[in-house]
Amino acid sequence: MEALALLQDVFDILLGFGLLWLAWLALFSLDLFRSIVSFISFGLLMAIIWVRLDAPDVALAEAAIGAGLTGALFLAAFAKLQPASVNGKGSSINPQKQSSRKQLLRWLPALIMLWIASGLTIAILALPPHATGLTSEVTSNLTASGVSNPVTAVLLNFRGYDTLLEIVVLLLALLAVWSIGSSVPSIESEPGPVLDTLSRLLVPILIMVSAYLLWVGAHAPGGAFQAGAVLGAAGVLLVLSGWKLYPGLEGFPLRLVLTAGSITFVVIAILTMLVSGTFMQFPPAQASILILILEMVATLSIGVTLAALFIGSPPTDIKKL
Amino acid sequence: MGITFIDFPWAIALILLPLTGGLSCFLWPSVSKILGLVTVIGVMLSATGLGWLVIDKGVYHYLVGGWGAPLGIELYVDGLSLLMLMVTALVALGVSIYSIHYFELSYQRRFWPLWLFLLTALNALFLSADIFNLYVTLELMGLAAVALATLTGSHDAFTAAMRYLLATLLGSLAFLFGVVLLYHSFGSLDIAVLSERFESNITAWAAFGLISAGLVLKTALFPMHFWLPPAHANAPAPVSAVLSALVVKASFYILLRLWLEIFSQLDTDVDILFGFLGSIAIIWGSLQALRQTRIKLLVAYSTVAQVGYLFLAFPLAEKVGVTAWSAAVYLILSHALAKSAMFLAAGNLLRFGGHDRIADLDRVAQRLPITVAAFALAGVSIMGLPPSGGFISKWLLLQSALVQSQWGLVGVMLIGGVLAAAYIFKVLGRAFTQAPLPHEPGVVPATMEWAALLLAGGAILLGFFASEILAIIEIGSPFGAGEVKL
Amino acid sequence: MNTVFLYALVGIGLFCLGLFALIVQAHLLRKILAINIMGSGVFLILVALARRTEGGIPDPVPHAMVITGIVVAVSATALALVMILKVTESSGQPEFPDEESK
Repeated sequence: MEALALLQDVFDILLGFGLLWLAWLALFSLDLFRSIVSFISFGLLMAIIWVRLDAPDVALAEAAIGAGLTGALFLAAFAKLQPASVNGKGSSINPQKQSSRKQLLRWLPALIMLWIASGLTIAILALPPHATGLTSEVTSNLTASGVSNPVTAVLLNFRGYDTLLEIVVLLLALLAVWSIGSSVPSIESEPGPVLDTLSRLLVPILIMVSAYLLWVGAHAPGGAFQAGAVLGAAGVLLVLSGWKLYPGLEGFPLRLVLTAGSITFVVIAILTMLVSGTFMQFPPAQASILILILEMVATLSIGVTLAALFIGSPPTDIKKL
Repeated sequence: MGITFIDFPWAIALILLPLTGGLSCFLWPSVSKILGLVTVIGVMLSATGLGWLVIDKGVYHYLVGGWGAPLGIELYVDGLSLLMLMVTALVALGVSIYSIHYFELSYQRRFWPLWLFLLTALNALFLSADIFNLYVTLELMGLAAVALATLTGSHDAFTAAMRYLLATLLGSLAFLFGVVLLYHSFGSLDIAVLSERFESNITAWAAFGLISAGLVLKTALFPMHFWLPPAHANAPAPVSAVLSALVVKASFYILLRLWLEIFSQLDTDVDILFGFLGSIAIIWGSLQALRQTRIKLLVAYSTVAQVGYLFLAFPLAEKVGVTAWSAAVYLILSHALAKSAMFLAAGNLLRFGGHDRIADLDRVAQRLPITVAAFALAGVSIMGLPPSGGFISKWLLLQSALVQSQWGLVGVMLIGGVLAAAYIFKVLGRAFTQAPLPHEPGVVPATMEWAALLLAGGAILLGFFASEILAIIEIGSPFGAGEVKL
Repeated sequence: MNTVFLYALVGIGLFCLGLFALIVQAHLLRKILAINIMGSGVFLILVALARRTEGGIPDPVPHAMVITGIVVAVSATALALVMILKVTESSGQPEFPDEESK
């Protein structure tokens, strides 16, 4: 038994140092491409740590969004940056070229960081070793929430208002990217046979995984964000293999799908207000069906929004006006 | 049905209206102007309704989802948040009227959804009583503000907005770190619950440091102001107006709220540091404003200086709490109206002359009298001359300093006033003269001129309703017991 | 209980490492990587400390907060990356033009 505990400790320490090392590589590796790859590995290691910390819902979100989609966004931006910086004034990204004066200027921030880190360490170590947080409140209200996965209950019911705003943040990011990105070239990749076959094989699987995550989210790890992210990944694969949205759907239909999650949220919130008198108060008997509807629509919107964020440039319909 | 008109959930309308409006503008971009205007008028009515409710019945609580703290999220409206919501609605109305003719068609469809989401974030922020919910609204506000700041599309705007984005993201992260420490120390995210459970310990100190640092960066207190002038000066005029009038105030509002409700129990000298940095901000920001050759940069640096005044309330509040805090709130209100008017007027001058170089202003007083009047009236409030909201706030601040014989702060305020007069007259002085190079004037639509005058008039009117507004501030006594003597 | 504080300290390390990189690295892509890593640090502290419960079931509220945080982070990253492209397009390099003046 003791040997097992020791093994776990060693495992934890290795994971922790591995994480710090990958972060260091992502931030200070001389080769930017290697940095981004390290960042993606960092996200995957992070997902393992979430599992180790009994946070499987977070692990799924991290793997799909944190490592997967964020990594894809960085790689795409890196690819688009390449021609620009070659044409430019020959950017001196290489830190080796930095003057000694600049090297000296690094010591001051480094010292300040050490000071901040030690202060924060003292602050965290001063916390009591035991605390329940809101566990008992969540547990005792779980039956009224409509789902049995406590994380889903918090996200969609107890703190559903946060989640509404969060979906709006995601949509807003897309509006901002479309507003800025009209002139940024989109990726015109030539899909090789490998990618083509891969996407044919993977996309249906991803859609099924997404549906599964959505379904189990009510009682097991999973939920709208994880399912949406997997759906988004399927969309990214489709885009990479040269798939294009049917032009007739680029206008209002696409915008409707993108906003459907937020709209459903608002509509259900108003309906609950009419029925129970309180904004976003789900009647316990109907809570599970309402949450399921919400999550289904939100998954679709999140997935399409994430894929659209990856593409970056707005559809031609938006560009025109 | 038992539900009377006054009990209508105005607070929820303040969140859902701009949210729905933003979604609709995105769905039907060709009618976004009308949808936007209708939404903003609805927000104005809801803010009035909420004001009626709060003035009539006192502090307003709302349990979102019916759960209540600590499990759920609560909304809370006292006099302080009510005034923030009302000034937000008023500035939003002025800015929206202005924007109808300001943006070209292709920019209208980009502007309205982003702007209405920003308005959603502002309203949600002022209503929230939950620190994690505040974090989400801060992020929504920050991203919307940055996206709006890029709308001019110029190289300078993108560079400035990039700095702004990094500053706002860093500020949010520091704030979130503080939220994490508070949650794990005291087991709640609700401000009232935290206020009860709070005790001074090392973790609480760290949370205080992180939250203050993050919010001070977002509020652009000297020396963390570096991102503000370029971002505010290079944004389109209505966006500059909103950024200076409301967005900077939102982070200050959170700082003020948490300082009063939670961190007041810490025995700290940070208030003196805030007062010191605020003093430097006043002098340095005013001097920089005086040095500028472009109107929009001048107005942006003036914001740096006026933010400094807000922080003077912290050291002054130790002895005369209610007066000093009321002065700060009054300054938030009057500066919001005056500065938005000033940026809108600057936008008119830019549209008229095709540039905003102060030296090349060409007889604008004769040719754009309404705009110049708006600029001048707003200037009266910024300088702190009577009768104006700016006068009341600076008078209250000065009074708090005099009572405590804080001669240093008195001096700073007086010098700041003189410098403000200098930079305002630097612009106004050129308004009457002929430029060396005459140019073809651009057409400035009347709505753009009147929108600026409406807001400037509001800043002046604030000077006439001091006792009423001070009575509203007192609802729910956010600043503890006490009385403001005018 | 060691696990809790071990990972919380790793979180502090990530936060400070990211902050350091944010200050000293000029390349904007690295600044955004730094912001992401700082965020991961805060999330790690949030979730690690949620495991201090007696029964072994961690507090679910921080988990939900982190999922919200991850979505906010990817939104901010997407916006930041497209802005980097625009800055680079006009200035020729993915850096702030007057980095020395600070």
